[in-house]
Amino acid sequence: MSFFGFDTTLPKDRGHSSNAPGFGHHDAFAGLGGGAGDDDAIDFEETYDGLGDQLDEMDDAFNDDTFGSAPQNVGKDFDFAGQTSQIAGTIHEEQMLFQARQPPPQQQQKPPIPHASKPTRTGYESYNNPEYIPQLEARADIWGLKPKQPAHQQQQHAPAPARKMMSLEEVEAMIRSQAPPQHSQQPTQAQAQAPAPVSHPHQFPHGQPQYPSAPGQFAPQILQRPQQHHAQAQVPPQLRQQQQPVHAELAGQPVHTQAPQHPTILQRQRQQNEPHVQPQRHAPTQAQTQRPPAQPRQILQNPNRLSGHGQPIQQGQIGPRGPGHNRGPSYPGMVITHPEQLMALSAEERASYLEEDAKRAKRNHKIALLAKDNGLMTPQDKNFITRIQLQQLMSATGNLDEKSPEAAIAEDFYYQVFSQIRGAPRQNPQQPANQFAQTYLFQTNSRFGPRRQGRGGDNHMQRMEQQVQRAVEAAKAKPKGKQLVIEGSLGKISFSNAKTPRPLLNLKRAETGDKHPKHPKSSVAHRKDTLRNIEAVYMTLMHIEDHDRTLPSPINEDSPPEAIQSHMEWRTKVEALHKKLWQDIKIMEPINPQSPTPHPFISILSHAKGKKAIQRIFRHIDEQERITVVTMIVVHLDQLPVVSHAVATPDEPLSPAMREEVDLFLQTVMPPLFAHISESPLNIIIGLLGLILDRTNMHVVARSKVGMDLLTILISRAELLKQSAPEINPSDWEQWTELYNRLFDAIEPVLPVIFPGNANDTGDMYVWQFLAAMGVGASPEQQQRLVIGVKDRVMETVAVSKTLPTDMASARLANVNLFMRAIGLDVELLG
Amino acid sequence: MLFFSFFKTLVDHEITVELKNEVCIRGTLKSVDQYLNIKLDNAEAVDEMRWPHLCSTRDMFIRGSVVRYVHLPSAAVDTALLEDATRREAEAAKNKAK
Repeated sequence: MSFFGFDTTLPKDRGHSSNAPGFGHHDAFAGLGGGAGDDDAIDFEETYDGLGDQLDEMDDAFNDDTFGSAPQNVGKDFDFAGQTSQIAGTIHEEQMLFQARQPPPQQQQKPPIPHASKPTRTGYESYNNPEYIPQLEARADIWGLKPKQPAHQQQQHAPAPARKMMSLEEVEAMIRSQAPPQHSQQPTQAQAQAPAPVSHPHQFPHGQPQYPSAPGQFAPQILQRPQQHHAQAQVPPQLRQQQQPVHAELAGQPVHTQAPQHPTILQRQRQQNEPHVQPQRHAPTQAQTQRPPAQPRQILQNPNRLSGHGQPIQQGQIGPRGPGHNRGPSYPGMVITHPEQLMALSAEERASYLEEDAKRAKRNHKIALLAKDNGLMTPQDKNFITRIQLQQLMSATGNLDEKSPEAAIAEDFYYQVFSQIRGAPRQNPQQPANQFAQTYLFQTNSRFGPRRQGRGGDNHMQRMEQQVQRAVEAAKAKPKGKQLVIEGSLGKISFSNAKTPRPLLNLKRAETGDKHPKHPKSSVAHRKDTLRNIEAVYMTLMHIEDHDRTLPSPINEDSPPEAIQSHMEWRTKVEALHKKLWQDIKIMEPINPQSPTPHPFISILSHAKGKKAIQRIFRHIDEQERITVVTMIVVHLDQLPVVSHAVATPDEPLSPAMREEVDLFLQTVMPPLFAHISESPLNIIIGLLGLILDRTNMHVVARSKVGMDLLTILISRAELLKQSAPEINPSDWEQWTELYNRLFDAIEPVLPVIFPGNANDTGDMYVWQFLAAMGVGASPEQQQRLVIGVKDRVMETVAVSKTLPTDMASARLANVNLFMRAIGLDVELLG
Repeated sequence: MLFFSFFKTLVDHEITVELKNEVCIRGTLKSVDQYLNIKLDNAEAVDEMRWPHLCSTRDMFIRGSVVRYVHLPSAAVDTALLEDATRREAEAAKNKAK
């Protein structure tokens, strides 16, 4: 029951008996009777004004005479009502169509009903509503249904317009009696032969042609078709029997098509009607039996279409696809389009043909099963999916391009190099990627490898390669738009992938540069310049190192020209990079003693990372350039921060930061210098020592650890050369001795202050080393002066060492002994 | 990718992960991914009295976005190399921006 108590079941659901005629089909008032008991329902009795009761129903006896119930008996000359009733449906349809096409101004065209007399107020104005279509369908009664109540037949022979009134009365009667409707009994005889909607065009009173050209006239035809089909489904068996011969001939063509037009119309109509016709033809389950003439066509059409279409044979219908999708027969040989052809063949041929046909059908069936989902994805779709998969693969493995270690190093520099230097802590992080890539490649190979003969496999591999290439390009192109701002939205959408996770902080940096105009003299600008120089040095160094890795295989005379060519190119690049490095370290900048800022190269050395770079620079420069570097450092020795700011006194030891700087310098810059000096000939040593004596402040140099170390290196190298190669030019020795004397004279005044701390400090070993080096080369007189100079310190240290634990004391005494032994003494003698 | 590359070298080293909710967890780094999600073995809260609910958990997966600090074993870090890696990263970023 519905909320309002109306009967909500649709008329078709109500399952009325097929012999219930007329209004029984759309019993609009059936709910009223049933719903009367409900409180909410509107009681018809209460709302009805009772005018209908005043009608005199007794005098209906002569209605037949008035309106003419039997057109056969009455002459048709004036039987307008009868004729009109016959076309009432059509007129309605047309009305509807016309309104549908030209919605607004169609009200003046009234439905044909009004010309029947009608109560002024019926309460059923919906009957005037031109949209009241169900009535048309309800007229199935004229299809020859048996009259249910012969008693009423006399009254109800009237055609449609009259029937309207009758219906009203019947409704009233029904309501009054609370009985089922008993209205609209229809005569069966005359009208049964004419299917109501489709036959109307024949009976247009104006004699219009069947397919009139007037606008709006073609439409009924379209409307008719489903109706006709509907009617067919409903026609009683005998009528269907009657129609079918014709029907079969025309294959779904409406029965009344003109005969001469058969061929063309047949084609067109079958196409249009296919959805309706096919089920009839191919569904044997329908009670309808196929008549012989139809069979051959079925044979011919079905397999062919299926073979072309790739549909399973069981699907009995092609219908919804429409004929446009059908292709021709797929077999090239014998094409049989007419059953007659088949008949004309000999028995064997026919047998073989049929056999072949069966085979073909079987094969087609198989193909159809396999290819059931073919064509679901377009090539573009597949492309798209493949690309996504490849992209995923690439970002998952990190480097699909395992072949190029360069790319791997670029992406994963720290890990790769760290692993090479220290040995990977574990192979695992690398291994899965490798395995994955291998698995992937192996799969591809095993699948397409065996088939590789011919172009097929190659083609596929090529395509895969292209695919990968495209994927890589797409992946490269993608990060360009890292954000998407949808118009009107408040936020941004950031894209991210495994390689470039979405940045949580997106800082926009103002364009650097000219905001702070350079103050060339300011120390800040100088510092920045220096730092920039250092970075440039490092970049060049890395480029050189990268380039070194790409060293092509060594060449000989037999090498192919390409190898030689690549080798030449490599060499050229090395030279270019080398040149760039040389410029980057700024060592060739002219020395300007008056400049307030130190030389750019020395500035580089004042930064920790600059110091660290020296070792790497030395690896890439040649001998001459190394001499230049050493010379440059030596010349500016007292300008180096690690020398000028690293003069410690017992009262004022070095700050930890400066000590760190000094240590770093000793660890990074000194070793290459030492390595170079320890291989240099005497003249170089003489030149360097001369530079130190001439150009630097010896007091500063001698009091700093770095300076003292450098002096020690130079002196000891000279001493070594003297001992190992005494045959060297004696003039050089003279020169050296002269220099040594100058150095001794310069050092002697500062001997008491060259120790960085008091005797308790342990970090004075380098001083003892220096003294030892000086003592070795000193004349006896100079040795005497040396001992006098450091005598106090020696005694102090020996005294301190006596208070210390044995191991520490021995270490201190060993330091002292370095010097003592150099001049032929020993601390033991002092004890 | 620098941090990913860097943390990969710390696999099998003991690290201490400090989360944004102040929880501090010490454990052996087992793996790390691009999002710097961290997998720890033999994990334990640094202060188990404060976070007793972590006592029973030995293996952890930590979402990268909740990590505030990671305390590293300094011996396992090659600073010079790291500097170079940083330079490379910066250069690559600069080239990409062009």
